[in-house]
Amino acid sequence: MDYQIDDAPEETIFRLGGRMTFVDHEKFREVLAAFDARPGKRLVFDLSGLEFVDSSGLGMFIIARDAALKKNAAFGLRGARDDVRRLITIAKFHKMFDIAD
Amino acid sequence: MKRPPKTLRPTAAPTVYGIELGQSPAQWRILAADDSLFSLRTLARFLQWAGMDQVAFAQSGFEALRQAESFRPDLIVLDAWLSGLDGVETLRRLRADPRFRDLPILVQAATPSDHLRTVCFHAGATDIIAKPINPGEFITRVRYHLERRALVDELKSFRRRIERDLTQARALQLALAPEADALAELERASGFQITGALHSSDEIGGDVWTAFEIGEDRAGLFVADLTGHGIPAAINAFRLHTLISRAPRGDLDDPARLLTHLNARLREILPVGQYATAFYGVFDRADGVLRYASAGAPSPLFRPDDDTPFQPLDGSGMFIGAFDGAEYDNRTQPFPPGASLLLYSDGFTEARDPEGRMLGERGLAQFAAAAADTAPDSPAERLTADFIDCFGDRVDDDLTAVWVRRPA
Repeated sequence: MDYQIDDAPEETIFRLGGRMTFVDHEKFREVLAAFDARPGKRLVFDLSGLEFVDSSGLGMFIIARDAALKKNAAFGLRGARDDVRRLITIAKFHKMFDIAD
Repeated sequence: MKRPPKTLRPTAAPTVYGIELGQSPAQWRILAADDSLFSLRTLARFLQWAGMDQVAFAQSGFEALRQAESFRPDLIVLDAWLSGLDGVETLRRLRADPRFRDLPILVQAATPSDHLRTVCFHAGATDIIAKPINPGEFITRVRYHLERRALVDELKSFRRRIERDLTQARALQLALAPEADALAELERASGFQITGALHSSDEIGGDVWTAFEIGEDRAGLFVADLTGHGIPAAINAFRLHTLISRAPRGDLDDPARLLTHLNARLREILPVGQYATAFYGVFDRADGVLRYASAGAPSPLFRPDDDTPFQPLDGSGMFIGAFDGAEYDNRTQPFPPGASLLLYSDGFTEARDPEGRMLGERGLAQFAAAAADTAPDSPAERLTADFIDCFGDRVDDDLTAVWVRRPA
């Protein structure tokens, strides 16, 4: 997995790319650390560059949502495609996440 | 007599890279081979300074070979010029014996040339020490090689223990699945034939399944896959299995209620980000239906008869253990005589061919149809074996396949 952070005025966008799997826990911690540095802003994972996510990767979305909730920050997923989109649909993530195309 | 340098005094419980060796210098046995008794005594004195008291002497190559057998040293110091059998030939013979293949053997030689050093290393020397011997260097090298060997022994025994534990854990995990006679009894009572196969990527993993009779004509089947790999995933799989066996009786007839119950229990014990995908279904012969609920499990593959291709059923639903207050739907699927259902872990559909294409549901459906043709009595095992033949044994995920068939 790789990521890039874009700070817009109203929100911070984390552009995730590549394959997000159980080997990415360390990298994911960096992403969570970046949450702390941006209090009060809306946090968005842009998944349009993500090719694949496994069950641990979906777990990281859940952890990110939890971390944002604890900071009273809005959190959303956006731009999922192909397999990633299929997986978050099967898991009915729309019931718990703010999801946009 | 010379006093030993302070730095050579033995230290308790040596450690290497922070790993305790569990051996002290006093336990180490050293065999020293040299023509000269004076040289041998000098070496023994140096070794004693470092706390190594168990030293045996050999004054010829043949004696060194005999002592290697009887004294069982942890390290040998061998002079390159020995009478009878010379040092290099002694070394070759020791190395030819599997018992001494990994033994540290230090060769000492007076002003060794590059040629002699090369000959010694080729013959199997672990290290070469130039004569005259400097006590500080000598002890440091002896200790280095003994500690290195102790470290390897320590790691080997640790590895053996872990492997043994994992083998036992794997047997326990396989024993969680219903045994063949229990499944035969279930088929007699309910009219549904259930077979399963479980294959773990690293000895143990997070896959778990179980099946049981609920009442007259009804069989319950639960299949789940915990996130993660290895031991933590397996422990959570055991916890989940326990939760099923203790679930309120009334929940077993109502799949959505069972998953709601399991979600609440798992939320209490799993950290955020860990969860399970799960399928629970009740196969009802009297009503001719399958009632099921799914927690994001891979879409079950269904066919009403052997001549119709497998089609995916709706497996969508929130994971269990992921969110507070998750809700589940009951779904109903007609299940006539001759119908089959395949449940599987995502390790199957996420497998990739050499071109990087995922097998997917459609690819798995073809494997399933072929397995049912060739092995109608054990299609789940056949399917798993065919899959491993095609994608290799080192697929990096657990594989579980459970097959339900209502005989025609």
